[in-house]
Amino acid sequence: MLRLYRTKTPMNIFLNGELIFRAFLTKGINKMTKFRSKKMSLRIFYTLLFSIVFIGHAYAHKVIVFAWVEGNTVYTESKFSGGKKVKNAPIEVFDAHGKKLLDGQTDESGKFSFKVPQKNEMKIVLLAGMGHRGEWTITRDDFGEEIEENIKNMDSKNNMSTQTSPMIESKAVHKEKNAIPCLTSEEIQMIVEKTLEKQMNPLLTKLNKLLAPNTSPDVSDIFAGIGYILGLMGIGAYFNYRRKKE
Amino acid sequence: MHISEGILSGPVLFTGGALAAAGTAIGLKRLDYDRIANVSILSSAFFVASLIHVNVGPSSVHLILNGIVGILLGWAAFPAILVALTLQSVFFQFGGITALGVNTVIMALPAVLCYYLFRPLIKQNHLIAMIASFLTGFLSVFFASILLGVSLVFTEENFWEVSMLVIMANFPVMLIEGILTAFCIAFLKKVHPTILPGHIS
Repeated sequence: MLRLYRTKTPMNIFLNGELIFRAFLTKGINKMTKFRSKKMSLRIFYTLLFSIVFIGHAYAHKVIVFAWVEGNTVYTESKFSGGKKVKNAPIEVFDAHGKKLLDGQTDESGKFSFKVPQKNEMKIVLLAGMGHRGEWTITRDDFGEEIEENIKNMDSKNNMSTQTSPMIESKAVHKEKNAIPCLTSEEIQMIVEKTLEKQMNPLLTKLNKLLAPNTSPDVSDIFAGIGYILGLMGIGAYFNYRRKKE
Repeated sequence: MHISEGILSGPVLFTGGALAAAGTAIGLKRLDYDRIANVSILSSAFFVASLIHVNVGPSSVHLILNGIVGILLGWAAFPAILVALTLQSVFFQFGGITALGVNTVIMALPAVLCYYLFRPLIKQNHLIAMIASFLTGFLSVFFASILLGVSLVFTEENFWEVSMLVIMANFPVMLIEGILTAFCIAFLKKVHPTILPGHIS
């Protein structure tokens, strides 16, 4: 039996706690020696642990398709988790109601692109054979704003103003003759678009890299899984011990 | 070899789930709780095995290790593999959650089959035991490929085409696992024979 300290000073309480913990530990070790294979299991466990640490390049087994929109085209990239590209695999594109919009095939570098069929939600499905399937949904937010409409409105406004002033037409003609060459709205639009594209391209590539789903599993996930398995073992062993005690 | 979400139809998923449940029930009943440490170590090995990847031409396949799990655990391979597959599905997103039953049957049934086929041979002399354990590793992946073809037959076009493809893609895995199982069993025979099936603990 445990011989605990009687007087309840803080120091004694702490020492009692330590004695109780040590008693449980010895009991646990005595129980564990019942498992014949304890030494073997420990050896296998340590080998496993070491091999995990040295896995490094180890790859995993699911297939990922990732898509983004640039202008009027949707670009897709398909890989096996681990980074290997999925070559010549069929891709199907469905709309929000499940109707198939188009299909195609990935090329030698795992890429496939197509013109935007409709500016709505779309689901891209990749079938990599042997039971592997990946999908990606493009939402309304992935599409940019319509720029042409604004320009069209601006142009119609210009036409309106020239039409509703026939009286100052002569003045306008004079103005035209002395007009300094200036940029039309379309030229301005082109310049702005070109500059934006140049500036945004590196940002967009970085963003796509960030948004792409993670291909290889983290070491933390591996430890988490093994932790759960060992936890289940502990629960099983505990209930076995309880059952045997009765 | 894990089947992803959304490929199999309802009836196939349901059948797979029922078979996996039955197998797990039998496995739990026959599980020797004094040896639960073994079960959990082998389950962890199976969990980590799919991360070891073999590059085969255009596709990529991974180690399965259901041979050694089967020969050492017998029917307890079902709960061990079920737990490991669940964790793989949750943490690594290998295989869909709904396809868990089918995936379990694909990997655990060959394990149990090889247990019954080769258990008596492991006890024999060294040469027979090595050959038997090589065949365990080899055939358990082979049968798993066949079962994969069977489960895909209701979705894919042609059973023979898919099966041939899976078997050929997994052939290096079969060889590697055969050799691995042979070495493991030889090691265990020398160092710790009570862990092997058929020995009274």
